[in-house]
Amino acid sequence: MAMGERVLQFLGMPGPWADDNSEPSDHYTIKIGGLPDWPVPQFPSAITHILRCAACQSLCPDFCWRAIRVQKLSSACEEVGRGAASPVSALKDDRCDDLWTFGSGEEGDDGSGEDIDLEELGRALSVAASLASHSKKQMNNQDTKTTEKHLPLSLGTRVVAIDAPVLPCFYTYTQEEPSTREVTVVSSNYSQDSEQEETWEKESYEYDRTWNADRTYLKFKKSMDAFPEQCFRYAYGGKPLLATAKVENPGTCKLCGGPRHYEMQLMPPLLYFLQEGANDCKKHLLDHWNWMTLVVYTCSKSCSHFDDKGKFNIEGWVVAEEAVVIQFEESLQESVHKDYFS
Amino acid sequence: MAERGGGGERGGFGRGFGRGGRGDRGRGGRRRSAGRREEEEKWVPVTKLGRLVKDGKIRTVEEIYLHSLPIKEHQIIDTLVGPSLKDEVMKIMPVQKQTRAGQRTRFKAFVVVGDGNGHVGLGVKCSKEVATAIRGAIILAKLSVIPVRRGYWGNKIGKPHTVPCKVTGKCGSVTVRMVPAPRGAGIVAARVPKKVLQFAGIEDVFTSSRGSTKTLGNFVKATFDCLLKTYAYLTPDFWRETRYTKSPFQEHTDLLAKPTKAIYQDDVERVEA
Repeated sequence: MAMGERVLQFLGMPGPWADDNSEPSDHYTIKIGGLPDWPVPQFPSAITHILRCAACQSLCPDFCWRAIRVQKLSSACEEVGRGAASPVSALKDDRCDDLWTFGSGEEGDDGSGEDIDLEELGRALSVAASLASHSKKQMNNQDTKTTEKHLPLSLGTRVVAIDAPVLPCFYTYTQEEPSTREVTVVSSNYSQDSEQEETWEKESYEYDRTWNADRTYLKFKKSMDAFPEQCFRYAYGGKPLLATAKVENPGTCKLCGGPRHYEMQLMPPLLYFLQEGANDCKKHLLDHWNWMTLVVYTCSKSCSHFDDKGKFNIEGWVVAEEAVVIQFEESLQESVHKDYFS
Repeated sequence: MAERGGGGERGGFGRGFGRGGRGDRGRGGRRRSAGRREEEEKWVPVTKLGRLVKDGKIRTVEEIYLHSLPIKEHQIIDTLVGPSLKDEVMKIMPVQKQTRAGQRTRFKAFVVVGDGNGHVGLGVKCSKEVATAIRGAIILAKLSVIPVRRGYWGNKIGKPHTVPCKVTGKCGSVTVRMVPAPRGAGIVAARVPKKVLQFAGIEDVFTSSRGSTKTLGNFVKATFDCLLKTYAYLTPDFWRETRYTKSPFQEHTDLLAKPTKAIYQDDVERVEA
């Protein structure tokens, strides 16, 4: 990112609901929920490969969110496609019924009966997949041409188990966030006190705070109030809108070891819309999602390191896992501002 | 909550409440300026509590206070306390900063909100424009709404009208002490804390203050801290063991979900006094 360049901030606003939650779409479409659209049909087995824990070779049993970046490699030109967060959750035993099959042949190497609740994978994957189209507009630093490459929508090869639960799906559209400008005209109508019998000491500037909320959260809420329906925010290399001041270190890129920077974050209205759209049987899935924001950090160099072992790439697409930082609501003890009454 | 005898109506708000006059300092007030978009008026909840309130699963603010849940959205208060909530600007003070180009003046607005019946909030906001400061302070005040406990001075007849016991609040160097008063005493306090106490719904109280009460910010926050303490003080009516109920989060999860942890529903032995 060159110095002095303004980072464009995009907001993802909700659009229409999908007619059918499982309907496929182009892998560059931004959507929330539903099933993921892969550029290449062999992806899902590769994805599960990546998501395995390196130590014990099993999928992480905890409820966790993962971000996957999918990027096209090509000798002629480079197209950037990114994947975003998805929870690989529900690897608890009681979810055995959620199977996502792609045809019996490919399941063999995963081990039989691998129960992966990948339905939510569709979610952010789709959310992010679209960012590819954004990246094209913003990659002014890329010295490559971005040419349209339409991969055939192989609808026929996607076989989904009929009873696999799928989250409600809706599409989004993006708009640029206008920078708020306050009119700097001093109010000329300010009148002096009519009563002069009280003389107060001079007051000094005070940052926003209440006894139960701090400045970071109040700024977060202010941005939310300005655009109450924003489902995600995108600003490659920009600054995230944090809900709590403390943020974990995202670590370094798994492919190239370079630093990670902020790319996008998911916002709470997304949860609200999904809950509104979900019928009763899926509501219990959504009940456990209680984050304030999910921040996705990706490789700042947008690397596409070709791994000889072929572990990280399939058919000219590089797949990498990126970092997701979750911020939760604070409890009352945590949010009480000890300095308020001092 | 203090008991309520069957008693005559108190007239509630009657005492010189309301806006306008000395309250409405500066211009701008609360009318919606043309610049605000329609979209801003819609509320999409950000917190789980907000989602429950929007759904209508929580009816009163008391359910939230009972489980010590932080209220992080002012729209929650709007929905639950809503139309009975009144707001008033206590003071607008200019705050100046010396810059190379001269002085930069911003305005600091002090706003108190309350329904005159046990809920009060205080908001302080600095901004370049008076109207923005007032609007921001109202939102901050709604976020900080607290319950106020009222009690009796002597005989428990009629509705509670004064603080339940002597309480004191402190902010900076200012301490404010509130002492129960008999009916008819009225609020014996300086103009600024009197406003806060009126909005809280306290009808009679003796106050005494100490420290640099010329600092408006500290004075008004000390009064607020004092009101916060009314429910923090353990009196003998609270000696009975608490009967725990399900928090709204546990109560309103989907019935189809398998319970993952034990839900508190203690059968408490009642100790007869």
